[in-house]
Amino acid sequence: MELFYKVLYPLLLFVNAAMGNWWNMAVSESAGTLNNSIESAPPLRRDSCQRLTFLVDRQKQLCQLSDHIVQVIQSGAEQALEECQHQFRHSRWNCSTVSNSTDIFGGVLKFKSRESAFVHALSSAALAHSVARACSRGELNECSCDGRVRKRTPRHWQWGGCSEDIRYGEMFSRDFVDSKEDKNSDEGLMNLHNNEAGRRAVRSRMQRVCKCHGMSGSCSVRVCWRRLPQLRLVGDALATRYEGASHVKVVDRKRGKNIRKLRPLHLDMKKPNKTDLVYLEDSPDYCEPNDELGILGTRGRTCNRTSIGLDGCRLLCCGRGYQTRIRDHEEKCRCHFVWCCKVHCDVCRSKRDHHVCN
Amino acid sequence: MTGTIIENLSGRKLAVLVSFLLLCQVACFLIGGLVAPMPANAQNILGTVCRDTATEKNDTSTWFYNRGKGACKTVDLGDFNQLFTEHDIVFAFQMPVPRESMTLDYSRWQQNLIGVLQVDIRYHSQMEVKPRSIITVDARLAYRNKGDPDDAWKLYTQSVEKRHLDCDIDIKTEEYLYNCSAIPLFELGSLYHDYYLLNVRLPVDAPGMNANIGHIQDMWLTVINQNGGFTKVWVSLKTVFFPCIVAIIVWFWNRVHMLERKPVLLEKMLLSLGIALCLLNMPLEYLTLQFDLPFMLLLGDIRQGVFYATLFSFWLVFAGEHMLIQDTTAQSSLKQYWRHLSAVAMGCISLFIFDMCERGVQLRNPFYSIWVTDLGTNLALTFIVLAGISTCIYFLFLCYMVWKVFVNISHKRATLPTMCSVRRLHYEGIIYRFKFLMLATLLCAALTVIGFILGQVAEGQWKWDENIELEYTSAFFTGVYGMWNVYIFALLVLYAPSHKRWPAAENTSDSQNLSEEIEFSPLPSETASEISSLTSFIRKTNVD
Repeated sequence: MELFYKVLYPLLLFVNAAMGNWWNMAVSESAGTLNNSIESAPPLRRDSCQRLTFLVDRQKQLCQLSDHIVQVIQSGAEQALEECQHQFRHSRWNCSTVSNSTDIFGGVLKFKSRESAFVHALSSAALAHSVARACSRGELNECSCDGRVRKRTPRHWQWGGCSEDIRYGEMFSRDFVDSKEDKNSDEGLMNLHNNEAGRRAVRSRMQRVCKCHGMSGSCSVRVCWRRLPQLRLVGDALATRYEGASHVKVVDRKRGKNIRKLRPLHLDMKKPNKTDLVYLEDSPDYCEPNDELGILGTRGRTCNRTSIGLDGCRLLCCGRGYQTRIRDHEEKCRCHFVWCCKVHCDVCRSKRDHHVCN
Repeated sequence: MTGTIIENLSGRKLAVLVSFLLLCQVACFLIGGLVAPMPANAQNILGTVCRDTATEKNDTSTWFYNRGKGACKTVDLGDFNQLFTEHDIVFAFQMPVPRESMTLDYSRWQQNLIGVLQVDIRYHSQMEVKPRSIITVDARLAYRNKGDPDDAWKLYTQSVEKRHLDCDIDIKTEEYLYNCSAIPLFELGSLYHDYYLLNVRLPVDAPGMNANIGHIQDMWLTVINQNGGFTKVWVSLKTVFFPCIVAIIVWFWNRVHMLERKPVLLEKMLLSLGIALCLLNMPLEYLTLQFDLPFMLLLGDIRQGVFYATLFSFWLVFAGEHMLIQDTTAQSSLKQYWRHLSAVAMGCISLFIFDMCERGVQLRNPFYSIWVTDLGTNLALTFIVLAGISTCIYFLFLCYMVWKVFVNISHKRATLPTMCSVRRLHYEGIIYRFKFLMLATLLCAALTVIGFILGQVAEGQWKWDENIELEYTSAFFTGVYGMWNVYIFALLVLYAPSHKRWPAAENTSDSQNLSEEIEFSPLPSETASEISSLTSFIRKTNVD
């Protein structure tokens, strides 16, 4: 196996070179030499952008705008990874990262699968979210202020105020993430669709808040704005979309211009709209480890004996069975919280059954 | 022998006047919809969590901000195991936030600044946020002007305030956020300086203080200011309306004084209505460009209140003066209407007291809110309910009076066929125009209400066409504002005394002369009376 891997490695590297994606920034210190430590990456600076080989030219350009923007992109990638691992914590593929590949997810996303659709959507959403937050914090000077009123007569913000921060977040995400995708390839078409679906998930989760400030504080004058949602809610929404993702195929319509569109695989299925996730291929089998693809397999995963869902031992262990061990379980309990930063907790110990897949 | 102009005006002239006024009205609406931006702008600012390393925390000369020279050290609140205390945490909000690689600054055209705080509280099963817990906020507001060094923040105001924290949560799972309602924090009546900075601390000086507020992860401040463009359009409208209304008042009062008799109550009411409108129209906003006038919000409320009070009183008196069952000899005065007007007075006084308690106190402490304490809430609610009751009573009363007027008119109309044709045409004209004006009033009121409801229901942008994007909210405000100006302008013009004198030979003219071109002649028999010929008609028919 070791030998096989060594023979394969240069080939693998070549294949993966084209696959590296910007979300590698979640773990990378510098591109060329992928660091083995998956844990917190030190903040990048703008001069390191050129060395990030997984970025395409446009992405490098955007990355070099300022030190802040690099960190914002990086934190977007980190949050996307964290959210992915949270949403997939019960699935056979739990968004695990590998360190010996040019893509942090290994080759898993080489398939045009559901998982790939989800990761693309989530990462583009997380970037939009992270940029919008940075704009609100006033960290990014570049944030746009397109007067939302009339574009014919561009005016200063003192005239008509600025657009919402999420608008720039989406714009930036579109510019940055989508620049990698090729509209003419099947994969590109699918990724573009999913990226957009991710950004829309952020927008649709925004919550409207209003304040009355008319005469004597009455509602004769009212102003409303929208709050940025928590990324967890966006992740939840996308996870629902992931479950209901549409299996599509690319259709060439050769009427006049060559328009390539995504249509459902089966005619009786509903046409996916802009907020739905789409995929072109079925997912690979995540049960067995596959070094080539970076799949770790479900061996050794903890499962839930009573659950009939994906995290249940039957499904998670792929029918291989599981072992039950009794373990000392330590848990924080009876916590007292002191604003802002202290929690006093007791440690409660208990013995619990622990089920591990074979 | 004089009537009011509306009675003596020919149909054609009336049509010209009305269409001119309608054009003005449409123009006002379109100016608001096409030129002006949204009335107000809200900007969300995410608080930067700064670490205060000083040992002395009450020093108001040290400020924490995240941009420019001397920016603070930031900390992460998501991490529990850090070695600092609540005293070290400062949430800094520097406003306005930069855009398009430029440092923005507030303009005095933006008029006012309202701050609303929103906290993101993370759910922890072991430390749930209790419903209606109290959050104590130590808020300090500083300002800086263009050209000052980055760290030259000067204290504007400082206060320790309590606020209610209304939070609920749907998914009670770790790492989810509570859904907390927005907390109104401050209201500045004037936006005099260029930059502002808010430093928020959550003190724990007393036991139990800020104990039940959970794990605050982020703090958002939404700052609301009037849009500069809207102020410019609004003030321009005022600048145009103000001299027009002043001129028409002067003209009106001049005409009243040219008569031999003293002004009657209706004319006095019209004058005061005009003056109240002038007060509202006065473009005092120009002064805020030069001076720091924090009382502008309060003054605006008072100006509007005075106008509404006068308008409501006018309607009552207007209906009452046409009640048709008056004592002919008595010169009516405002004293006769004290019962009717007491509802208006009570409503206005209670709203005024409420406003003084809220915005009045905010002049001294912009962070003040009457709604925080139970006593304050009850007090405020009492005044608001009182005002609401007064408004209801007023409107019931007004409807009753208007109904009575119409009953009387239709009653009197039954006697019309017995009159000669000249007189009949004349009276029919008067009644028609009286009803026309009542209709105009109703139309104005209905349009205001409908516009308001439409604005509330279909918030956001109205797109009538792909290219023409109408800013509905602004259009509504300028439209309504223009409408009431036009309405009062029309009242002042049409209810001014007419000076038309007719030769005695007119008495013999037959009804053929009374074509559209020839204006209605007043009744020859009423030469002695100088009151409005409608009321004189009623008194006459009583005699009949």
